[in-house]
Amino acid sequence: MSPWLLLGAALAVAGVVVVALPFLREPMPESDELHELDATERARLDAEETRDRALASLKELEADHRAGRITDEDYRAVVNILRRDAAEALRELDRVRGAAPEGTRAESANSA
Amino acid sequence: MARSSSPARLVVALSVAAVLAVFLLYTSLAGGGTPSVSPSELATKTGEVSLAGRVVGTPTGDAHGGGLRFVLEDIQGKDKQRVAVVYKGSVPDLFRVGRDVVVTGTQRADGTFVTKPGSMITKCPSKYQAAKT
Amino acid sequence: MAELGRAALIVTFGLSVYALVGGAAAAALGRRRLALSARNALIASFFSTLVAALVLVAGFLRDDFSLAYVAGHSSRALPFAYKLSAFWGGQEGSLLLWLLVLTGYAALAVWFARKRARDLVVWVTPVLAGIAVGFGWLLVAVSSPFDTIPTPADGNGLNPSLQNPYMVAHPVLLYLGYVGLAVPFAFAMGALLSGRTDERWIVTTRRWTIVAWTALGVGQLLGAHWAYQEVGWGGYYAWDPVENAALMPWLAATAYLHSVMIQEKRGMLRVWNVTLVSLAFCLSLFGTFLTRSGVVSSIHSFTQSAIGPWFLGFIVVAVVFSVTMIWLRLPQLRTTARLESLVSREATFLYNNLLLVALCLTILWGTAWPIVSEAVRGEAVVVGRPYFDFFLRIFGLPLLLLMGIGPLVAWRRASLRGLTRIFAWPAAVALATGVALIAVGAGSSVPGLIAYTFSAFVLATIVVEFARGTAARRALTGESVPTAFSRLVGRNRRRYGGYVVHASVVLLAIGVVGSSAYDSVVEGKLARGQSLSVGGYTLTYRNLTEKDAANATEIRAVLGVRRGGDSLGTIQAGKNAYSVEQQVSNEVGIRSDKLTGEDLFVIAEQVNDDGTVFFRIFVKPLINLIWLAGIVFVLGSVITLWPDAREERRLATRYATAGERRERSATT
Repeated sequence: MSPWLLLGAALAVAGVVVVALPFLREPMPESDELHELDATERARLDAEETRDRALASLKELEADHRAGRITDEDYRAVVNILRRDAAEALRELDRVRGAAPEGTRAESANSA
Repeated sequence: MARSSSPARLVVALSVAAVLAVFLLYTSLAGGGTPSVSPSELATKTGEVSLAGRVVGTPTGDAHGGGLRFVLEDIQGKDKQRVAVVYKGSVPDLFRVGRDVVVTGTQRADGTFVTKPGSMITKCPSKYQAAKT
Repeated sequence: MAELGRAALIVTFGLSVYALVGGAAAAALGRRRLALSARNALIASFFSTLVAALVLVAGFLRDDFSLAYVAGHSSRALPFAYKLSAFWGGQEGSLLLWLLVLTGYAALAVWFARKRARDLVVWVTPVLAGIAVGFGWLLVAVSSPFDTIPTPADGNGLNPSLQNPYMVAHPVLLYLGYVGLAVPFAFAMGALLSGRTDERWIVTTRRWTIVAWTALGVGQLLGAHWAYQEVGWGGYYAWDPVENAALMPWLAATAYLHSVMIQEKRGMLRVWNVTLVSLAFCLSLFGTFLTRSGVVSSIHSFTQSAIGPWFLGFIVVAVVFSVTMIWLRLPQLRTTARLESLVSREATFLYNNLLLVALCLTILWGTAWPIVSEAVRGEAVVVGRPYFDFFLRIFGLPLLLLMGIGPLVAWRRASLRGLTRIFAWPAAVALATGVALIAVGAGSSVPGLIAYTFSAFVLATIVVEFARGTAARRALTGESVPTAFSRLVGRNRRRYGGYVVHASVVLLAIGVVGSSAYDSVVEGKLARGQSLSVGGYTLTYRNLTEKDAANATEIRAVLGVRRGGDSLGTIQAGKNAYSVEQQVSNEVGIRSDKLTGEDLFVIAEQVNDDGTVFFRIFVKPLINLIWLAGIVFVLGSVITLWPDAREERRLATRYATAGERRERSATT
């Protein structure tokens, strides 16, 4: 057998080892469950995204107004809508967080 | 008050209709492309066509003078036919006997194919395929 | 050594199959270790592909002509750099390059996203693996670079038209682009498969998309420059199917890039976004198919090959898969946010999408119609330039205008007063420019005039934006102008980097219009001492030189150039006759005017035995703006790509806490 073919075989073996690694490392795991986001966590992510979006829109509006891209009237017409959206988003986020298990409430209080 | 259906859908639908209309109008006016034929199919077509064939024989004449005269033969097929071509205009560097070329033009009553000036394209031997020696 | 290469590719194929099947099972059944195992397999497939690639490189560098591929594309005399680039000089090597880039990107993508988007990655792995399976199969069973032959004394050499720096870089950049689009596609499919329609798939792949899009754009510009200088027919883009093959995915990716901004800001256009990214990827597969399978005859012609039907099969699978997933998840993708006004930023982006897709699809039709016609009607047709030029104008001019309107028009609803205030000054500049241009004679081409006017408008909006932003910053912080400017760009990289990219597109438009709508050409046969005049230049044919170079005989006609009484030196044009490859190449003479950006372009069409030469001479105004645009384009992209620490922190907080919480609850 040529040395090259041997190298090829070695490569195949290496591949098998790499693939088997997770099984070799944890032959008897406590849980083999794939961590999926549950409904609460998904709701929280969506709520955070909505909040970020609302806050970013407000920030952009303020910046545009200051820079003179938006007239005073246009600013006034939109700012209240955006503020309302942001408040709603924050309320929704609080509601979702409130529905989350114990450990997270303390943690979210720290990070807020 | 929330709108019952977003104007976005209407905009998209109208745009698609507009594009289709422009497109159909254009192709019906300008034609759906020039037919591409081989020397043996030439007899079946009238008007301007794109003739594809292999250069055989010896080219004579000057493409920038009275016209380059050469003969094109069917690239494929068992019953290969030939047609005489008169070409004026730029000649691609890859032009030579045995090369496949495409020229646009019409066939005259005497059987000679007269080309649109500068319409010759050669099919380069594949850049991605090894040259056959 | 070929055995190692072949074995490595088989290992890659096996690993990809495992990653596909195991990964899909792990995601569907929710098995953690299997998911990790599949991810490892995907990453490992890069290393085995790398081994195969290195074997091929070694074959080229060692002149190992027992490998049919090396013998077919290299020779002993070939310079070192071209021995390397011969790797992608043919079909088998190009496929291997595609797979290498794919597995490399896949490995990086799943590795970097492993924490932030774990539940996405479990689905992304089988999608990327599926693509790798396709290419792996081709390389192992259909078109292998490691076929051996009885060793010849020397190889056939590399096609002379590939022996230049452009053809070294152009294919690599294009592949970095084509393959790069697979990553956002896979993440989009991953999001749909997992039912997660949140923003994570977009946020994670934003930089990937920009890098791929930039690479694809620059790759095309390099190709155009090569066509201009080396092929030398006087143009840089011929609407050739292979050229269109790269343009179409780029247009779809441009639409996608913009459309996701709307999803980010307003949560809208979700269905558009998954559709656009799927379209971009399927078009890049189609582009690879067009270039490599010989199905369309073109200047870049290639022979019919066995991979054609397989490729078509992959494209069909990709299309059916995308459409099915989008259809299934349609309810989750729809949002409550509605378009409030047809004059708003959201609407402008929607029009942008529509125009880009329309342009893309008309080009697709023009490229595919000859194939379809031959297959369905048995009648071959050729779609010519006028078709493409027409639609480029119809869709391209409004797109140019939108580039100026989009960034400035208000969100949700734009008021008339707001519009007037924002656009009055740029519109005035545009009008003034238009009038001035008519005065200097640009009215000879109406589309050209419109394009110039729109370009002036867009440039004016960009300048105003930079000025306004700097002034606003200074009002707040009292910084000096340079500091305020650089801080402004630094704090808003995406916005101002985007403006720089828009400016580059405008430069490109001006260059394209100038060199096509306002160019001049003259041709004629000259004997020594005779002259031709065009565009203000007078060229006099002086003499003919013949020189023997390394692998070719170089014949050059020397002409003296004068303009308005001043001598501008000489220019040479002619032909190279390559001895080994038995080919003649066109060597054009180009003189670029640094001040006006125009080119004097000389082709020595025919060198006659009596010493007379038939010349074709062009004057192409503003053409060098096209190449300048490429540089500005890269600059703008780099600015938008630059990492933003604050943004990263914010996203990390948003997405990481879910992971921590899970791990904590897993151990209790």
